Amino acid sequence: MTTAARTNGLIGGLAAQAGRSRMARPRAFKVMLVIAALVSLGVSVALVLLWDGARPDFASAMHRAPFAYKVASMLALGLGGLVLASRAALPGSRRLTVLAFVPAVLILAFRAVTDRSGLSFLGNSDISVHECVLTILGVSLPPLVLLLGVMRMGAVTRPAVVGAIVGALSGALGATAYALACKNDAGVFVALWYPLAILVMAGLGATIGRRTLAW
Amino acid sequence: MTIEHTDVTPREIQWAEAMRAERRGDAAAYERLLKEVAIMLRRLIRARLAKFGLGVDETEDVVQEILIGLHGKRHTWDDTRPFMPWLFTITRYKFIDTARRLRRDAARQVDITMEEMAEIFAAPAEDPDRTMQDIDRHLADLPPSQRHVVRALGVDGATVRATAQQLHTSEGSVRVLYHRALRRLSAKARQDDTP
Repeated sequence: MTTAARTNGLIGGLAAQAGRSRMARPRAFKVMLVIAALVSLGVSVALVLLWDGARPDFASAMHRAPFAYKVASMLALGLGGLVLASRAALPGSRRLTVLAFVPAVLILAFRAVTDRSGLSFLGNSDISVHECVLTILGVSLPPLVLLLGVMRMGAVTRPAVVGAIVGALSGALGATAYALACKNDAGVFVALWYPLAILVMAGLGATIGRRTLAW
Repeated sequence: MTIEHTDVTPREIQWAEAMRAERRGDAAAYERLLKEVAIMLRRLIRARLAKFGLGVDETEDVVQEILIGLHGKRHTWDDTRPFMPWLFTITRYKFIDTARRLRRDAARQVDITMEEMAEIFAAPAEDPDRTMQDIDRHLADLPPSQRHVVRALGVDGATVRATAQQLHTSEGSVRVLYHRALRRLSAKARQDDTP
């Protein structure tokens, strides 16, 4: 039996399964990814509320600039991550580009530069930085697991890079949720410590994704 | 593997149509597509594997891995976009993945085989004639070209280049011949061990 004949046997077996794929096609996959991101955000919000509760002055703070900037920058980051993740899971899509993160970086930088509040970049208390970074990491873990699970249904061809993207996306969702509880309103605090937590998530995502996204 | 994303070749049109036919459950069109893709893959892969001293068998292994990969992920092709870029992305990923594994296996196989070779050829040092006879007995089962390569490289310690020149062939095919011969000898050694 020649080797090419073996391959033809295999091809016969594969061809018999024509039209039987039950997996989500690109359009359905994108919808699934968006739903997974929204569910993730919901889970993160629930965890933040259970863990910390909303900030005491939430009713008035939610109408002021600091909160709006936090949420806007993290949602922009999340959207960028979502666009890249959906491209990465569907081969033949447009290229992965860091430009997707530019809007978020611009919002963070603009807020940090124009913030005249004089608040410290270390937050309001000694434990602000720890609390902020660790909480974001904690509430970003469920999104990471859920989103990596969805990404496995696509065809990722750069597992580590895409793992990092999914990690950053999870971190952005976790940070959006954490903004409900975060009392540290200094622009530099947000521009420094939120991205740090997100970078840690990206590293974690790369490490886990290297194995779980390979196929 | 570079491709032009813009040019719409007849092949692009035919293959994209066959992929759509697969989604309608047309097994015959899908089978034709897979066969055509296999032919293209063989051409692409053979030359690349020869560089690592891997031959026809391994080429076919890689082709099969890629076909299985593209079959398993066929739902990720967006039928409003060109098919060829999708195919090449999947191909590149699976090729790198499989070639890496094959090379690891080959290296391990050669290591094991080297030990086994040592055992096969183990003989009292004071009796070089008998050793040569033993070696000849083991090599006798190999095809002539493989026998020549093993004797040149393994016994006489010649270089791959010199052996290739002697046989009027490429260094790549000398490596392939050597690799195959070792595989054969180690299989035989295992057979001899099991009474």
